[in-house]
Amino acid sequence: MHAGPDLYSIRIDGRLGITALSAFPAMVHHVDGRETVLTGLLKDRSALFGVLAEVEALGLELIEIRRIRPERRSGGRGDDRSADLWWG
Amino acid sequence: MTSSPEVYTVGDVRELVNTVRNGRNGDLIAPAGSAGQGLLRREDLLATLDHAVAGRVTIISAPPGSGKTSLLRTWVERSRDDRRVAFVSVPRDERDAQQFWLAVLDAIRRATGTSPPAIQTSPPAFDADAMVDRIASELAEEPKLLVLIIDDLHELSAPDAAAQLERLLAHLPSSACVVLSTRRDPRIRLHQLRLAGELTEIRAAELRFSERETRALVEASGVRLSDREAAALHQRTEGWAAGLRLAALSLRGHADPERFVAEFSGSDTTVGEYLIAEMLERQPDDVQSLLLRTSIVDRVNGELGNLLAGHLGSERILLELEDANAFVVSLDAQRTWFRYHQLLSDFLRLELRRTAADEVPDLHRRAAAWFLQRGHLVEAVQHTQAAGDWSEAARMLADHIFTLAMEGHAARIETLLASFPQGVSAEQPELALAFAVTELLQGRLDEAAAQLRLAESHIENTAPERRYRLTVAIAALRLEHARRSVNLSDLLEQIGVLAAPVTGESTEQIELGGELRGVALMNLGITELWSGRLAEAERHLLEGATLAERIGQPYVEVTCRAHLGFPSKLCSFATARERCREAIALAEQHGWEALPVIAPALATLAGTTIWMGEFAEGERWLRRAWKAAEGDFEPASAVLLHVATGMLHSAGQQNQLALAEFEAADQMQSILMGEHVLAPQVSGWLAATHARLGTPDKAHASLTGLPAERARMGEIDNARAVICLVEGDPTAALEALRGVLEATAPVMHSFTLVEADLLAGQAYLELGDRRAAGAAVEAALASAEPDRLILPFAMTGSLRLLEVLPRHQTAHGALLFEIVDLLRGGSATNPDTERSRESAGLSPSELRVLRYLPTNLTRSEIAQELYLSVNTVNTHLRNIYSKLGARDRSAAVQRARRLRLLSAAPFSRLQNDRATAVGARAIVVPPKTITTFRRCSVT
Repeated sequence: MHAGPDLYSIRIDGRLGITALSAFPAMVHHVDGRETVLTGLLKDRSALFGVLAEVEALGLELIEIRRIRPERRSGGRGDDRSADLWWG
Repeated sequence: MTSSPEVYTVGDVRELVNTVRNGRNGDLIAPAGSAGQGLLRREDLLATLDHAVAGRVTIISAPPGSGKTSLLRTWVERSRDDRRVAFVSVPRDERDAQQFWLAVLDAIRRATGTSPPAIQTSPPAFDADAMVDRIASELAEEPKLLVLIIDDLHELSAPDAAAQLERLLAHLPSSACVVLSTRRDPRIRLHQLRLAGELTEIRAAELRFSERETRALVEASGVRLSDREAAALHQRTEGWAAGLRLAALSLRGHADPERFVAEFSGSDTTVGEYLIAEMLERQPDDVQSLLLRTSIVDRVNGELGNLLAGHLGSERILLELEDANAFVVSLDAQRTWFRYHQLLSDFLRLELRRTAADEVPDLHRRAAAWFLQRGHLVEAVQHTQAAGDWSEAARMLADHIFTLAMEGHAARIETLLASFPQGVSAEQPELALAFAVTELLQGRLDEAAAQLRLAESHIENTAPERRYRLTVAIAALRLEHARRSVNLSDLLEQIGVLAAPVTGESTEQIELGGELRGVALMNLGITELWSGRLAEAERHLLEGATLAERIGQPYVEVTCRAHLGFPSKLCSFATARERCREAIALAEQHGWEALPVIAPALATLAGTTIWMGEFAEGERWLRRAWKAAEGDFEPASAVLLHVATGMLHSAGQQNQLALAEFEAADQMQSILMGEHVLAPQVSGWLAATHARLGTPDKAHASLTGLPAERARMGEIDNARAVICLVEGDPTAALEALRGVLEATAPVMHSFTLVEADLLAGQAYLELGDRRAAGAAVEAALASAEPDRLILPFAMTGSLRLLEVLPRHQTAHGALLFEIVDLLRGGSATNPDTERSRESAGLSPSELRVLRYLPTNLTRSEIAQELYLSVNTVNTHLRNIYSKLGARDRSAAVQRARRLRLLSAAPFSRLQNDRATAVGARAIVVPPKTITTFRRCSVT
């Protein structure tokens, strides 16, 4: 079980305005077409669920959560960055 | 409640904020009209609900803004006579299951119109299962269909709440149904209900507005849009209710609705944010300012709004917003308190933080002060914490920790404590006090003691003006601790601090004095009671009860009164029973009749009833007492309960069961630091029961190693006598009884005398001395007569002894008949002719009434004593008069005396507790020991 902070990217339907963005101070955003992708380092699972709760509370539509593993140091198996996908 | 917006009494607001905070709005959801405007009546959904309530459970599960609450409110408004609705709205982040269930219970009571919806005060001990069962049974009593609606179920984050809810659903009577409204599927198992077809689900898909409904909504809002534009609106919002409502708000009165729709459709911004921003922008400045600045509180009224926004007119604005259906909703019939839709308030909060971050702490401070002033402590501390004023928050919490604890907010206290940042306890020693309270409430006595020591060590570091308060608070907590362990010496140490009445100058000191004094007196009184200092106990408990009543600490009051009903030299049997009943009635008023707080009163009442031979009645009280004591007990009360139960078993000659009880009592009292007031009785009966079970060696063993003071008591002598009788040595038994019979041995109460007489009688019988045996029985009857101490006759198994006594030699014929009747199993139907002749043809029931005639009790008082109706008593009296050939009460008494049915010595129960010498005995109680219960002893 991996402990410690992980990099996550969260994809939301629609463009988040400045007010909604202020609800995710730990994350940066970029617009991808009609969607917004929030990326940030969340320190643990509780932090992740906190972000998800905020998404729910603001009535936003979740499209995808992706955990981006930190880069492997040595002896990697092929791809340095493997990503686990959750389809929301 | 006055209609003037700015004037509230503390009491009003307190009640209302309680109601509002706990979402208890069962009697009024939305006033007629306010929910109507702009809200579409979605007939198909309403019809679905109508059908759904025929099943057991309905769940509406959809994201925020889907229109769940609106649907429910509209549905409720269409009230029908054939059903009742209880509506509970779970407040934000409700972690206190107790508060939630109390809100449910209250809503149900309001809906069914039972018992006045007084403020539900909640004592510390909470038994969720019992609460759920009570709710289920109250639901079952309602003949009409009752719909329990729980809105915002997702906010209920109390541990075990899911399991408790499942329990309720499983026990739901067929006349009730539950509607759950939530943002996400709850963690309760609905699978079985689904399988059984008893579950109706309404989900986001069903709640979405169709295009046709969109057009209807737009039209109902007074907006003119073409079909194409309406379709565009529908598509952009995807039928999301909140989006449509927000759009309608902005469209109403908009100069160019077409452009609005075009821009909206063309925008990528998420719907909620776009439309809320639009709506806000269109509001005048004062409205915007109000909305933003009040977003930090969960509920707002005009006064608070003005305070936070910094200008007047908030109430008007709030009312207008509600009328315009702008996501502001009133919470009470008078429309004084309001709440924003969660979506709106979340955005407002974000916006406030973004645009006026520096104002936020101050807003919290203002809110905190306002709440504090109105006695709303939890909110006050929360906002102080939110403002980041940790030391202030710690002080506030410590200052009001008693009120919070007494009002049963144990869970909230824990939540508040958890909100402090790590390591703050080191800087805020006053928090140790709060921690100590939570530890005590959880029964963790050692941890509590440690916290108290920590708090104490910091008294020196505390500012001088706070030292008094801190010292008093610590002393009060030590009292609580000492009481739970019945540590009298520890307790006495703390008394010095609290004994002096508070005469400080500040009202604060006096207030503090009041609250703490109440608690202190309660703890002191209870500890004194169990330690046998009955006179002091009575004084302090009475004082505590009166004070608590005056300052409004119902829990303290009930606790004090629950312990006042202990019979003693100062408190006659009759008075004790009266007090017990009073305490129980008071507890019932608050809904505490099945909680540990009232267990002592129930147990005492059971005990006194059993003493008087009312075994069936006593058993009922005992059951209630056991039920109430579940979940939380103090060892001292448990001793009482076990003893009373043991008494009942002994009476029925079920000695094995009795032994178990006396052993349990013995074990309980060994936990205590001090000597329990009932200790001699426990030890005595324990040994006696061992003997009666045929194991006299165990009996001997149990009597060795007793503390010297206890070993001297008459109760122990009686036990020795029982052992001797079992061992076949009646002479030795008489020797053992000598101390009691000659009044040289101290006794707890005259019960022991009766017992001693009976044991002596048994011994004499063994020795063949019938005359002496008869005399002993007569003495026993004499001692037993005033308070009807029938139990000893049963416990000592004296039926044979009684049959030996020649009837014509007794002056207590009626009592004798009654006892024999009882011991024989109560054959009231066929009195044998001999008995009939001697009892002048009076039946046992009539004899019982007869025995009350010499007293000055009225007919209804007699009825109460005998658990009969007044009519029955009157019937008995008529028969008595006719059979005795008497015209009135005093004539009946005279005749009965001549027939030796009643003794010649007069006595009256309700007269002053000055003793009359009954029988030949005077009881001398050495000053140091436990006082007697019974007032029939000579002073």
